[in-house]
Amino acid sequence: MLFPTSTFTIFFLIVLPLSWLLMSRLKRWRIFMLAASYVFYAWWDWHFIFLLGASTIVNQVLGVAIHREDRQRRRKALLLLAVAFNLGLLGYFKYYDFFVTSAQNALTRLGLEVSPSIASITLPVGISFFTFQALSYVIDIYRRTFEPVSFGKFAVYLSFFPHLVAGPIVRASEFLPQLETRRDPRRVDAGRAFMLILSGLFLKVVVANYLATHIVDDVFGSPEVHSSLEVLVSIYAYAVQIFADFCGYTNMAIGLALLLGFVFPQNFNAPYTATSLQDFWRRWHMTLSRWLRDYLYIPLGGNRKGPSRTYVNLMLVMLLGGLWHGAAWTFVVWGGIHGAGLAVERLVSQWRYRHGRADPPDTRGRRIVKRLVVFHVVCLAWVFFRADSFGKAWDMLGRLVADWSAPSPLVTAGVLVAVAFGIGVQYVPGRVLGSLISGFSRLSPVAQAAVLGVALMVTNAMGPQGVAPFIYYQF
Amino acid sequence: MARSTETRTRSGAQHGAGAARREPPRTRPIEGTDRRPLPAGKVILVAVLAIAIGALLNANGLRKTAQIQSAGWQRDLALALTQPLADLSHALYLDRPRQWLKEALGRGADDRIVRSITLPAPGGATGPGGGPSRVPRPQAKPVFSPAKPLRVWIAGDSLVVVPGQSLLQLVARNRVMKPAGEIDGRVATGLTRPDVFDWFDHVRAQMRTLRPTAVVVSFGANDGHNYMTGLPAGVSIGTLGSPSWTREYARRVGGFMDLVIQRGGYLFWIGAPIARSPTQSRSFATIDRIVRREADKRTRAYFIDTASLLSPGGSFEEYLPNAQGELIRVRAADGVHFAPAGGDRVAAKVLESFRQAFDLTSWQRRATPRPAAEQPARSIG
Repeated sequence: MLFPTSTFTIFFLIVLPLSWLLMSRLKRWRIFMLAASYVFYAWWDWHFIFLLGASTIVNQVLGVAIHREDRQRRRKALLLLAVAFNLGLLGYFKYYDFFVTSAQNALTRLGLEVSPSIASITLPVGISFFTFQALSYVIDIYRRTFEPVSFGKFAVYLSFFPHLVAGPIVRASEFLPQLETRRDPRRVDAGRAFMLILSGLFLKVVVANYLATHIVDDVFGSPEVHSSLEVLVSIYAYAVQIFADFCGYTNMAIGLALLLGFVFPQNFNAPYTATSLQDFWRRWHMTLSRWLRDYLYIPLGGNRKGPSRTYVNLMLVMLLGGLWHGAAWTFVVWGGIHGAGLAVERLVSQWRYRHGRADPPDTRGRRIVKRLVVFHVVCLAWVFFRADSFGKAWDMLGRLVADWSAPSPLVTAGVLVAVAFGIGVQYVPGRVLGSLISGFSRLSPVAQAAVLGVALMVTNAMGPQGVAPFIYYQF
Repeated sequence: MARSTETRTRSGAQHGAGAARREPPRTRPIEGTDRRPLPAGKVILVAVLAIAIGALLNANGLRKTAQIQSAGWQRDLALALTQPLADLSHALYLDRPRQWLKEALGRGADDRIVRSITLPAPGGATGPGGGPSRVPRPQAKPVFSPAKPLRVWIAGDSLVVVPGQSLLQLVARNRVMKPAGEIDGRVATGLTRPDVFDWFDHVRAQMRTLRPTAVVVSFGANDGHNYMTGLPAGVSIGTLGSPSWTREYARRVGGFMDLVIQRGGYLFWIGAPIARSPTQSRSFATIDRIVRREADKRTRAYFIDTASLLSPGGSFEEYLPNAQGELIRVRAADGVHFAPAGGDRVAAKVLESFRQAFDLTSWQRRATPRPAAEQPARSIG
C-alpha cells in the first residue's frame, strides 16, 4: 500500500477516526493499531507478516532476558545473540545471493570451480528499517538506558505503519514513551501534519516522478546516446529526485503519525545547503546517521582511539552504511566516497589544529564555494548510487566530457524548473515555512479543507498517471 | 518495570493536565510555535472534507483511475462510485480547473477513456484467413550507412525498458544506427487494455513523427488475463488462451504489426521471458505463441525468443554464467523483469535480428579505407 494511492486514503480514513475513538483505552488502541499495521504490511505480501511477527517475538524475548540478567558476560552473550539474529535476518533476505555470487565469482577468478546454491529470495519491504529499530531496542536495554516494555507496546512500535516500510528510523526511546499515555485529542498539531503530507505528496508525485520519467531514467539507462549536457543535468536531476522521493515519503510519514498524535524525529533538513560532508550527514536521512553514529561508530571506538582508528571507523561506518542501502558494490563505493570525503575533511581540520591555524573566516563567498563543492561531491557519489553497474557509472562520468556540442532534447524548461525548485526549496528560510504553516493552522477547518482539496487537485493533475514505488522501499 | 514507567508518566500527565487547566488547551498554541492545534474531531472533518473537495475537483482523473484497474469487483465498485462523481463535478463546473491545468501542461487527453481501437482492415497486410503476408518480400536487404543510418524506435510495456537501454548503448556505439527518440516504455500497459493506454493510436502517431525503420517492442507481460477492452461490437471473449481470446489477441498483435509494417517499418518483438511464477510463465507462453505465429506470417516481423535465451534449462533462472564462468544476475528480483546483464543478452539478440533484416556493413566495403585511428572504436555493425 503506497501512501499516495486511493487504497491508502481509504485505509487511513478508516484508521484515523477509530484510532482517536479508541485512544482513551490504550490496550484496545494497541490491539487495533497492531492489526491495522499488519493489514498495511500484508498488502504487499501477506507471507512477510510472519517475518515481522517473528522479529517482534525474538527481539522482545531477548530484550527482556537481557534486562533480567545481572551477569555481564551472559548479558553480552544475549546481546550478541540478538544482534546475530537481526543481522542474520537481514543477511539472509537482503545479502545472501550477493555474498554467494561474490564469493563464487572470486573463486572462479582463482580457477576454482564451485556451484553454489542461489536462493532467489524476495526482499521483504522495510526489513532494513524494522531490523534497525529492533536493534536499537535491544541495544538500549543492554546499555540500561531503556527498560523493556510490554509485548503489545513493542509490537506496535516495530510495526507502526507510518514508519514501517521506509522510516524514519524511530528509536524505541523516542516512540515507546509516547505509547505510555493517551495522546491528547484536543491538541492535534494538524496544521503541521497537513502541510507535511501535502509537501511530501508534491515532492514525490510531481517533482520526483517528473524528473525520473523526463530525464533521469533515460540518461542513466543509456548514457552513451546522450549529450554531456544531458548527462550533467540528469545527475543534478537525480540528486533532486532522490531528495524529493525520500524526503517526500518521510514528510508524509511524519505528517500521518502527527495526525494520529505521535511525533517522529525529523529526517531531512535542507541537505543540499550543507557546507561540509559532515554537515550533509547531519541533514540527510538524519535518523540513519544518528543510528550509525550511536550504534556503530561510537561502539567501534569513534574518535577516542587515536587518529588512525578514527579514520578506519569513519570509513567502515560509511561503507556499511552504503551496503545497508542495497546488496551491490556500487552502494559500497557510494559509501566509500562519503567516507573518504569525511576523512579528508577531518584530516584538514586536524592539520589546521596541529599547526595552530585558525579556520578561515566564514564569508558568504566561502560558504557558496563550500556548498558547491559539497553538492558536487554528493552528486558524484549519487552517480554510483543510481547506476546499475560500475560500467554504467563510468559511462556516465565519461560522457560528462565527451560531447558538449550534441543536441540535448531532454534538457527542457520543465526539467530545469523542477531541478531549480528541488534545490531552491531547501534555501527557503525556516521561519518563512514556519509562518506559512502557522498561517494555515489558524484558518477555519473549512478553509483548511478547501486549501488542501485544491492542492490535492493540482498535485494529482500535475503528476503522471500511476505512482512509481518510492526509491527507499527497495532498501 | 513497564508498569512503573506508565505510572510515572500518568502522574506527569496529570501534573501537566493541572497546568493545562490554567489555559484553554484548544486555543493555546503548540509548544514553542505559533501553530494552533485542532481537536481530533475537527482533524477528521478537515481530512474528509479535503478529500471530498479534492475528489470533486479530480473526478475525471478518479474515473480514469477506476476505469484502468484490473477487472474485478474493486473496479466495478470504483466505477460505480466515480461515474456519478464525475457527472456531479461536471454539472457544478468543478472539473474545469483540472482540465485547464492539464491542457496548460500539454496533457489535455490524459483523462480521455478509449473505448474502441482502430486496426488496419483484416487482410490489409495479412492474407485472408490469416494467410501469408501481402507485404512484398524485400528483394534485397535495405542498406544503411552512417550517411543514411537505421532509425531505431523502442517502445512497449515495462519489460522493454532494460533491454531497450542495452540496445541504445549498442546503437550509440554504431555509426550506422541512430535512436529515434527515447525509450517509450509505459508501465502496466499492453494490447488488451487500450483504456489504460492506446498503443494502436500511439504507434500510428509515432510512426508518422519519428519515422523509424526498426521498431523494437515488447508487449504481453500485462496481457495475461481474461479481460479486454475495446472489443468490436458484438464480440465477447472467453478465458485467456481460449479460441475466442486467442483470436482477438492475435487480431490485435497482427494489427499492431501491420501498423508498423504498412508505414515502412520492420518490427522486432521481444517475447516475454519465463517468470518465477509458473502461472505467469504459462500466460506468457500462451502470448508468445500467438506473437510468434503472427510474426511468422509477416516478412518484416521478427520474434525474439527470450524464454530460451534466459532460461536455457526451461525453468526460471535469476543468475546465469557469463563467458568467464562468473555468475551474473540476468533477471530482476521481482522474477519478471530483466536485470541489466539480461537486457544486454536480449539486446545482442535483437542486434542479430537487425543483421538478418538489414545490410549494416556493406558501406564499410564501399568506403575508402581510412587510418585505424579514424575507425569507429567499438563498431559492431
